[in-house]
Formats: sequence, structure tokens, C-alpha cells
Amino acid sequence: MKWFKNVLTFTLLVSVMMGAFGALAQDGGVLRVGMTAPVVLDPAQHSNDPETALNRAIYDYLVEVLPDSTIGGNIASDWTISDDGLTYTFNLVEGVTFHNGDALTSADVVYTFNRLQEVSSPAISLLGEFEVSAPDASTVVFTLASPNADFLYGVAARQALIVQDGEDQPNVLGEGDAAFENFNGTGPFILTQFDPGARAVFEANPNYWRGAPALSGLEFIFIDDAVAQVDALLSGELDFIFKVPIAQTDRIEAADGVSVVNVATSQHPVIRLRTDEGFAGADARVLQAFKYATDRDALNDILLQGRGTVGNNDPIAPVFTFFYDDTVENQTYDPQRACELLEEAGIGTYEGTLYAPNAFEYADLAAVLQQQWAAACINVDIQVTEEGLYYDFSNPNNYFEVELGITGWGDRPSPQILLQQAYIASGIETGFNESRFSDPEVETLVEEARVTTDNEARRAIYARISEIFLERGPIIVPYFAPLFGGLRDTVQGLVMNPFPGSTDFRTVSIGG
Amino acid sequence: MSLTSPQPPSAAFRARPMFLQQFVSLFRQLVRTPQSLIGMALVVLFVLMAAFGPLFAPYRFDEIIRGAARLAPSAAHPFGTDTLGRDVFSRVLWGAREIILLPTVTTILSVTFGTGIGLLIGYFGGVLDDIVSRILDSLLAIPALILALVILGTIGASSLGIVIVVVVLYTPIVARVVRSATLNLRSAGYIEAARLRGESTAFILFREILPGVLPALVVEAALRFSYAIFLTASLGFLGLGVQPPSPDWGRMVNEARSAYAQTPWALWAPSGAIALLIIGVNLLSDGLRRIFRYEGGIG
Repeated sequence: MKWFKNVLTFTLLVSVMMGAFGALAQDGGVLRVGMTAPVVLDPAQHSNDPETALNRAIYDYLVEVLPDSTIGGNIASDWTISDDGLTYTFNLVEGVTFHNGDALTSADVVYTFNRLQEVSSPAISLLGEFEVSAPDASTVVFTLASPNADFLYGVAARQALIVQDGEDQPNVLGEGDAAFENFNGTGPFILTQFDPGARAVFEANPNYWRGAPALSGLEFIFIDDAVAQVDALLSGELDFIFKVPIAQTDRIEAADGVSVVNVATSQHPVIRLRTDEGFAGADARVLQAFKYATDRDALNDILLQGRGTVGNNDPIAPVFTFFYDDTVENQTYDPQRACELLEEAGIGTYEGTLYAPNAFEYADLAAVLQQQWAAACINVDIQVTEEGLYYDFSNPNNYFEVELGITGWGDRPSPQILLQQAYIASGIETGFNESRFSDPEVETLVEEARVTTDNEARRAIYARISEIFLERGPIIVPYFAPLFGGLRDTVQGLVMNPFPGSTDFRTVSIGG
Repeated sequence: MSLTSPQPPSAAFRARPMFLQQFVSLFRQLVRTPQSLIGMALVVLFVLMAAFGPLFAPYRFDEIIRGAARLAPSAAHPFGTDTLGRDVFSRVLWGAREIILLPTVTTILSVTFGTGIGLLIGYFGGVLDDIVSRILDSLLAIPALILALVILGTIGASSLGIVIVVVVLYTPIVARVVRSATLNLRSAGYIEAARLRGESTAFILFREILPGVLPALVVEAALRFSYAIFLTASLGFLGLGVQPPSPDWGRMVNEARSAYAQTPWALWAPSGAIALLIIGVNLLSDGLRRIFRYEGGIG
């Protein structure tokens, strides 16, 4: 009978140990996040929040943008920039392994960044021209064609997730047992189940190099309707949702056990006039008239219930703390002055169509603007177009072609990106400079800012750009919108990123 | 009962044009049943609202009252205000015009076109009937909303776009109904007689056959009207209808939907109005159907 006793003891011991491990693994709980369904999964090509959230759970960056818009190390522990600003040297952390057990080396990083170039990833617009090499297994060197003050933001671009050397089908679903072998990152979570359009389930990576996450797992539940997401949060099906419509925040505030979280962002609608030959905005007086005709405080009050930050005439948002100059002033609301300016410009009363995408509160924004402008000699009809169609170049009245339109600009980590994309001549060809704005002085200043690494000097350049935009810029920024999320009170350690898909779930835990 | 078997219209309307006297008799028959009476009252109410509503509206439909956003219903704002501070009561009153006018126009157009086509192919039959009927069938096979999305996506969302969509969708339905009614009458004795008398085709079609298909047509028109209201409101809801700040009821429902926790009244008022109007039209068309003993109609 002794052998029996031994077996019994052994079995008991094993089950106790398993129980203990099980309890350990269960400690942090599973965080259930509601979001719209991701479509493009390729790390180098994805763009929207759920896609980023999925990738970020699985992969790591070389360096990353922290919630306060500064750059922090990730699998690069530190880096140095040469004096001429042309060489960036990154030192990699030791002991980083992929989910398949292979160790990460500099070759993986080189492969990743070369792949970004090969597939023309959106990250390239920030990275510019560069070459990447690996002098040894734990060092990566980037050589730039010309100085680029935002190069680190490029290295930290949402698409610059480190994949394994030779992985040419990242995030492509496989067959049977190997279904997730292409979802092979070094990140804190491992994908264990993926139903497109329904859910993605992850378990914590016990060998994560920064220590296993506090959570035992993550679950992304795909719900496309924003109101349904709030319902699911309130009914206890979800722990965290982001991009909550402002009209829904009251419901979350009124409910027990859940709270509204909010974060300032650089996301903003742009009200813009085309400035090229033959369009009304070619005359700076007309641009001025629209600025005087727009009551930004009222827009912020009516559309965002006063929770946004009133904007100026340029895309430099208060969240760009180093670069924002809060002494820049706007035109005050003065319909009389607007009429005079239009009279001077020989237009008298502006008649036209205001185009807007059917997204966020932009249709309402158009309706309120129509009212404000009617008092200032500007009569517009409104044409609201489905968002996809509005940004589709095959539509003759797309955002890029119309004379007067509202465009949504999402959060960017640096003002330089916005200025380079949309407000210099080169942006006309790439389809971002919708107002066809091209001002010799602005061109020079933007180029100067691009190569200026000193923050103080750069801030002065941006302040000058703001002044020019105040006088003859093509856009009105009524406000910078805050971003709302809904969070269950038992969730701890969650800091919502201004780009919510980039929120780091590694340090999140669920308490009692 | 299928459409192809001859349906004798009730005595008062057999193969004769409707005269005033008959209209009065129709009205009498309608008010006799409470359902039809209610239906008629509702329809009349909404038509009056469309005609005179804006005169009684305390505000313009697009007027944003500063500092009055999200107010609950009160004496000053009977249906409250929406998230932007617009008076919902005024918007519903103004919106009646759109939702009555557009379906009226589209119903008249699709009934006119449908009747013309139906009479022609029903009377002449043969290859013409085969070809046109197949074209109509293929149009009928396309789901309404998909066709609407394609058309409005191409020509842009506007009132004209809605008219085109609804006419394209409903003309084939009306044409089919008229065609089957015509088929039944084509071989009737009095048509034969007219032909032998040497009457012109136009005379036979419009003076002999048309009165015979009129009962079916009246019921069909009432049905089309109620479907057209629903479709117009649906398109407005989907953002494909008339443009903001128009007080289109469907659009109002959509705008109020995401804010229903804050301003439920802004959702109730337009949805209630749509529901009442459609119920009214349906009760009325049911009454007509009963009187004409007509059982056809295609959803």
C-alpha cells in the first residue's frame, strides 16, 4: 500500500501546486475591452484604434510615445543622437524573447524597419529617408539622409512594431494548431483566440521581459455601435471602452461602478477654404471674414458642452506642451467686421455649400456654423456625406476638392507632422493639403522646425507660424476635442492614451 | 385570391369613373368604420400640419437657442429641446411638410408612370409585355435599401435623389398591379365592343379600362404612400435624405438616438410622429381596401 500512498501524496502535491499557480494566474483577472472590429491586422499597415490595440498587445516598439506625448524606451533601453542629427544609435534590452521562444536580436529590428519601407507603411511619412544597420546583436544604427527632429516619433510610429526577422506574413491567420503562429511578437500578451468581427482573446505572456503583466488575460470584444458599447459597459459585460460619444457620458456618470475618463488630444475639426486660384480663399480678406464670423466659444459650448479647448487658426494644440504658445489670440466673433471684409473683397455675401463628413459631431457643427455665418453675410447650404465617401477621391465632392469643408484630423503626437502633411506645397500632391495653402514664409519655417532639435527654438518657430495663420491661414480650428472613455471602477492602473488604441494594458490590474 | 382572377369591384364602382357623388359615398363608407375614421382623422391632421405647421411653430426649425440645450418638455418647449438647443416641437411641425410632400410627389409620379406602363403592357401583351415585365421583375428583385444606397451614393443625398429612388422602386410595383387588372378586363365584352366600334387605343385604355382598374389603383396608391413615408423616413435616418439642419423626422430620430439618455424627448417626438402618420395612412388604406374588396398589393 505504500506505493499507493506515495502516488496519492504526489497527486495531492501536484494539484495543490497547480491550484496555486492557477490562483496566481487568476490574480489580475481578465480585462474586457469593447471596441469596433479591426480590419487591417498587418502591424506595418494598420491604422485605427482597435487595430493598434491588437498589435500593441502582441508586439513591442523600439521606443514608444508615452501618454504625455514624450518618447520613452521600450526594447531600446537607451539611444544616442549624433551632433549633426544624422545618426541614431539604439541599444537593445537583453533577454527579450518572441512568443515562439526565439531571442530578439538587432536583426529583427533591422528587418522590421526595412519592411516598413518595402510595404510603404504610413510610418514612413514620419521616418523620412533612412538606412538601418546592426553593427552587433544588441545595437541598431539609423542613418538619415537629412536631419529630422521628429525621427524618434517615426521610430515610435504606431506601425513600427518589431516583428521577427523573416516574418513576411505577420498577423495572417494560419490553419489548425498553427492558427496564431504568425502573431509572433515579444509583447506582454499572447493571442489565443481570434474570431474576426466578434472577439480576440489573449493570455498574459508569463515570460514577458518587463515582467509578466498583472492581468491574467485580455479580451477584446468587437461592437461597432458606440451606444451599444456603452450599454455593454453599464450592464457589466465590459470593463473599458474608449471614444465614448459626448452625449453618452452622462449615462456613464450616472451609473454606479463605472466612471468617465477623459484625456485632452490634438484631435480637431478643421474648417477650411481652398486658397488656390479661382477659389474664395485666394483672397486673405475672405479667410479673415470667416474667422470673424465664427464664434468658437459658442461652438465649444454647444457641441462639446464646453469640455473642449478652444482652438486658434493652426493645428498646434495645447497638448503639444513644449510647442504650444498660449499667448496667441484669435479673432473675436464680429459678424459686422466679417461683412465689411467680404464687401472689401468684392464678394458682398458669400454663397456656397459647406461640406462635412458624417462623423463625430461634424454634421451638428455644420448646422451651428450655418446659423452663425448667416449673421455675418455668409449663406451656406450643408451637404453631409458618409465619412468613407467624403474621404474617397472617386467622389467628385470629396474633402480635397470642395471649396468649403470640414475635415476631421485625428490625434498626432507632434505638430510638425500636421504642418508637413497639410500646410506646405508638398502636401498638395499627397492629398493632405486640402486648402492648397502654400505660403513661402510658412514653407521656410516648417523646414526650419523640421531640423531644429532645440525645443525652445522650435516653439518660437511655431509661434511665428501661428501668427501667420492668424492673419492669412486657410483654416479655423474651433476646438481641440477631448477624448472620453468609460472605465469600471475595479480596474486599476489604466492610463488612456490620447490615441486610445495605444493604451498600455501591461500595468493594468483588476481589484475587488 | 390571386391578382389574375377577375375581381368584381363593389356595385358602386363597377367599371365607371368616380364622380363626386361616388366620392361622397366613399367618404360615408369610410367614416362608418371607426378604424378608417381614425385613420382619416390622423391623415387630415398631418396634412394640416404640413400646410400650416410652420405658422404655429414658436421657433424656426434651425434656430439654436443659446443656453437652452437639452431642456426637458415644458410650457415654453412642449417637446423639449435637442442637444444643440433647438425646439423639438417646432422642428416636428416644420418637418411634417417634408415627410408629407416628398411621399405625395413620389406616389403621384410612381402611380402615373406605373399606370401608363401597366395599361400598355397589359392591353397589348405579347413580346412587349414579356420584355417589360421581365425588366420590372428584375427591378423588383433588388432590395429597396440597397438600390437606394446605390442611387443616392451616386447622385448625392438630396430631395430630388429621394424622389428618383422611390419612383424607381415603386413604379414597377404599381405597373404590375395595373397590368394584372388590365389583363382581366382586356377580354371583357364592353372592351370588345369598343374595339368593334372602332374606338382609338387611347380611348379604350383611358376611358374604358382605366376606370375598371381604378379601385385597385386607389388602394395601391394609398399603400404606396404609406411605404413611401416609411422609406423616406428610413433614408433620413440613414443620413441619405435631405441635408441638415432640415427637420426631417428620420434624420431627427438618428440625431437624437445617440443622445437618448440626455434628451429622450427629442427621440420620442419625431418617432411618435412617424408612427402616428404611418398608422393613420395604413388604417385609411385598409378601409379603402375593404370597400373595394381588393386584396392585392405587393410589399
